[in-house]
Amino acid sequence: MNANLQPGGAVAAEPRAGAPRRGAAPGGRDPWREKREAAAARQPSVLTGDVLYLQQVTVSFDGFKALDDLTLHVDPGELLCVIGPNGAGKTTMMDVVTGKTRPDAGRVFFGNMTNLLTMSEPEIAQAGIGRKFQKPTVFDFLTVFENLELALAGEKSFWRTFFARLTPRDRERIDEVLETTGLAAKRDTPAGTLAHGQKQWLEIGMLLMQEPKVLLVDEPVAGMTPQETERTGELLLSLAGRHSVVVVEHDMEFVRSIARRVAVLHEGRVLAEGGMDAVQSDPRVIEVYLGA
Amino acid sequence: MGGSRSRRATVAGRAARVPGGRRLAWLLLAACLAAHPAAAQTGDDEFRTLVGELAGANLRQKEEIAGRLLATGHGGVRDVLTALLEDRLFEREDDGRVFVVESNEEGLATFQLLDPATLADAGTIAPDRLDRIITNNRLRRFLRTGIARFDSSSPDAGVRLEAVRELLRSLDDATLDLLRERAAVETDPDVAFEIETALSVEALDDPDPGVRLAAVERLSGRLNPVVHNRLSALVRTTDDGGFAEPDEAVRAAATDALWQIDSRRNVYSVLETVAFGLSLGSVLVLVAIGLAITFGVMGVINMAHGELMMLGAYTTYVVQLWMPDHIGVSLLVAVPAAFVVAGSAGVLIERTVIRFLYGRPLETLLATFGVSLVLQQLVRTVFSANNRAVTTPAWMSGALRFNEAFALTYNRLYIVLFALIVFALVLAVMRYTRLGLDIRAVSQNRTMARAMGVRTEWVDAMTFGLGAGIAGVAGVALTQLTNVGPNLGQSYIVDSFMVVVFGGVGNLWGTLIGGMSLGIVNKLLEPFAGAVLGKILVLVVLILFIQRRPRGLFPQTGRAAESV
Amino acid sequence: MKAPALRLPAVIADRASVAFLASLAVVALVAPLLNLAVPESSPLHLSSYAVGLIGKYLSYALLALAVDFIWGYCGILSLGHAAFFALGGYAMGMYLMRQIGTRGVYGHPVLPDFMVFLNWEELPWFWYGFDQFWFALVMVALAPGALAFVFGWLAFRSRVTGVYLSIITQALTYALMLAFFRNDMGFGGNNGFTDFKDLLGFDLQSDATRSALLAATAVALGGAYWTCRAVLASRAGRVLRAIRDAESRTRFLGYRVQDYKLWVFVLSAVLAGVAGALYVPQVGIINPSEFEPINSIEVVIWVAVGGRGTLWGAAAGAVLVNYAKTWFTGALPDVWLYALGAMFVGVTLFLPRGLAGLLPVRSRDA
Repeated sequence: MNANLQPGGAVAAEPRAGAPRRGAAPGGRDPWREKREAAAARQPSVLTGDVLYLQQVTVSFDGFKALDDLTLHVDPGELLCVIGPNGAGKTTMMDVVTGKTRPDAGRVFFGNMTNLLTMSEPEIAQAGIGRKFQKPTVFDFLTVFENLELALAGEKSFWRTFFARLTPRDRERIDEVLETTGLAAKRDTPAGTLAHGQKQWLEIGMLLMQEPKVLLVDEPVAGMTPQETERTGELLLSLAGRHSVVVVEHDMEFVRSIARRVAVLHEGRVLAEGGMDAVQSDPRVIEVYLGA
Repeated sequence: MGGSRSRRATVAGRAARVPGGRRLAWLLLAACLAAHPAAAQTGDDEFRTLVGELAGANLRQKEEIAGRLLATGHGGVRDVLTALLEDRLFEREDDGRVFVVESNEEGLATFQLLDPATLADAGTIAPDRLDRIITNNRLRRFLRTGIARFDSSSPDAGVRLEAVRELLRSLDDATLDLLRERAAVETDPDVAFEIETALSVEALDDPDPGVRLAAVERLSGRLNPVVHNRLSALVRTTDDGGFAEPDEAVRAAATDALWQIDSRRNVYSVLETVAFGLSLGSVLVLVAIGLAITFGVMGVINMAHGELMMLGAYTTYVVQLWMPDHIGVSLLVAVPAAFVVAGSAGVLIERTVIRFLYGRPLETLLATFGVSLVLQQLVRTVFSANNRAVTTPAWMSGALRFNEAFALTYNRLYIVLFALIVFALVLAVMRYTRLGLDIRAVSQNRTMARAMGVRTEWVDAMTFGLGAGIAGVAGVALTQLTNVGPNLGQSYIVDSFMVVVFGGVGNLWGTLIGGMSLGIVNKLLEPFAGAVLGKILVLVVLILFIQRRPRGLFPQTGRAAESV
Repeated sequence: MKAPALRLPAVIADRASVAFLASLAVVALVAPLLNLAVPESSPLHLSSYAVGLIGKYLSYALLALAVDFIWGYCGILSLGHAAFFALGGYAMGMYLMRQIGTRGVYGHPVLPDFMVFLNWEELPWFWYGFDQFWFALVMVALAPGALAFVFGWLAFRSRVTGVYLSIITQALTYALMLAFFRNDMGFGGNNGFTDFKDLLGFDLQSDATRSALLAATAVALGGAYWTCRAVLASRAGRVLRAIRDAESRTRFLGYRVQDYKLWVFVLSAVLAGVAGALYVPQVGIINPSEFEPINSIEVVIWVAVGGRGTLWGAAAGAVLVNYAKTWFTGALPDVWLYALGAMFVGVTLFLPRGLAGLLPVRSRDA
């Protein structure tokens, strides 16, 4: 309800041309630092505890432990990056949080009170956890506008949607997100005809429409051009603070550019956790992942 | 049919070897049948005349003639009476003479005639020039008892056992005398046991309660139905409120004995139900294995699966037409033939239709349903819409008897065996051959398999061909259980899909266990609910089961399952 | 919250819908006219047989529409819709049986002939009320609707989808067929119901009644089309298509997918039941063979031939395939199954969008 996208929109609209590309530029100036700091500054001053908390979660498929006693927390308004080699359990972790996979053991809490393990996927989504899939999943046969309309927060029962009409406020919101994601021109195009990067953006846009408290974003920049990647990074940073954002990503450069806190997953456990530099210098991490 | 024929052959062979045994039997019989005008020995001509009288006689007269035949003590009596019992005694229309016919199997162009007295070859004749000597239940009962008297002194313990059991059904003084004599010389424990049963049953009528009590105690737990009947009669109340058996101790013993019998019978009836269930389950497994491959491994819903079974069944029929003289072997020849026919049809279907539809399971369902309609109409055009008769070979008929309460027919045993062999072969192909490896590779990751140099197109065709070929093999088995007609396949399609879905897609063991347990559950329900309601209940239970476990008994887990 | 009725004209304003509803209206008006008002000697006269045939086709079209509604827009391929069709038919048949009264072979005032034949003494409880037309109408919707509700509630709640769902719907209709074949079910066993006399006092054999039934079927088909379009034009309709294309994504947006599927499944079953109820008085018989799994599969091919996901294409497909069937079984009976089989294969291979895909008029959501 407080999801005013002004900051995000402003960031996206800011001319980026001429700015050095992401990563630590040779000159030593980190162009992302100020954005990260801005995001951090937006964090609620009074910490109300973790917004998402996974405690000793174990998931096994036919004896193979996808998650092994995983404990992980997400603070309100933070942007957490989760990295790890293939099969480390990153996607399974998201599946557990969103209710797609039920763990064999462990507890998952949303806020301090809500036990996510007793809820179905729609209930979890309604409670305020949005998810973007690894492979962009939009509704190909609906227009961009309609895709966003379906993601609109609110009552989602059959009879409500049967009688639902778009209020002017709803339209405004959709237009806003169309602007944010740069899809305004594609408003009435079937989503199936969008380019890959545009689909990624549409899906992020749908996430925004849901006004979630936590965004789980699986490989947001896979297959994107450098420009698109940059804009995505800006968007994610602009979301942090107002929302908690968890990003799973392979692109180390991208992670380095946006992350304040990084968690490294390996064989279903958290191997290391902390700032990017600390994590990168951790010998265990180097051994299993970075050094490889 | 075949079982009794082979038994007759044994008896005939033995007659040549041990005439002494036969003579003893005649003498015994002559003694037992003192009521008849006995003659020590009767000449062949006289015997033929007597047999000839059967032609014009009515049923009551036939019984009397049979009695006189028994009294003659002639060496051909047993064979003639057996022939009469098996509807193999015929009157020649031309001259009214009576002959034994070697085999009256349906479809024979000519019958081989045998002289009743000597069993010598008496020429062949077209069946329509013969009139069968008709029997009824009463006469057949009389004949069976008469033959049993012969057999009770057979050197073959199995034959003696059957004979004593037969005699047990109609005990009279003469029979009892015969059995007492046999008891003295009997060496086989099983036969002695049955003779003891017979004599104990007789002792139930003894005036001395002590003897009756001893008899009841001996009979406790014996499975012969006669024993159960007689013991139940003892504990029954009479019309005036008293008991049929006056002595209380005997009644108590009889109640106890009946309880013993009933509990043993219950055990055997459960065993029998399980055996029936296993044989039904084997049929289900047979028809479902092919589907488990096409559906489970390839993700193709093959609605023409039933019609591929139908092709297998028609192949069996055609093979039998080609080799009418070797019915027993024809079934074995039909198995590979059906595999090839149905398998090639499968490859053809895969190459022309299914390969364009991979990844669209609902579309494969529709297209293969179209194929099934075409195949049905095709056999209607070629073979007509009528059902075709496939003959059951001799080695499939008969039953394996364990005791009075428990017997398994050979066709049930063979079907279980056959299903297990087919299952084992499929498992072996999937596990140990290059083709199996390729199939598993393609089903798990098509792109990677192709990158590794697997010819996925070829593997697809072979996989579908394998599934179709197994359907054809299942069709061979079905010819022994059901009519071979254009609708053969349709009646199994729902069942076979249920087996695959129940067992868990992509898991052959699931198919085996799923099929067997569905078969058993079906048979367990039948006594309570009746066949149709039982089947409905199974379907309802299955529908509910799939709600609980949408991926069957043995689901595929992990991320691979998501794409199914 | 504004009533959707205000927007509904827009629901059916596209060219295909207008053409479909207009041709329905023409058939409903012209066919009775050519039958009743044009003298038999005229070449324009439409025989009573043809009127019955058209009425039958239209009830099939309604059934196809019901199947397309859930298959084309929500991805639920039901291979058991013949069960709902037959249940509606049986409900209507029960009313028609009770209308026979003393005119039956045995002349029993209450019991239908088959019950007298089975030596039943009194009417089973579930036959009560079927002497009232309104009650029969309620049951026409309620019986298939309730079955669909229970079945769908179980199936969709536990996420039985795709092929699995198709197979268990097939098992459902198969189980019902076996059940209705039983005499003790009280639905006439093997023979079902036949020898109907009249409906609401109108003689079923008369030309006027037949024409009225045809018109009623056309109206029902038009009404069903309009209802389905109304659902599809709402946001709920977009959710349905979202479910069809990416079910789990829809769930992660916060939609309870099972509820959506359940409601459209029930609506579709009710429409199929209505189709069955209109079919029975026009063909004069209902028996358990209507439940045969093959019937349900045939309906799916009507939809596939006409064009999945257009509604009007499904209806047109039903009429076309059935007309072809009538023609083939009359002229070349042996060829019919070849033709039908070839149609299945050909349409799935070469016309994934059905005949509707060949037309320039295309609805966006197809």
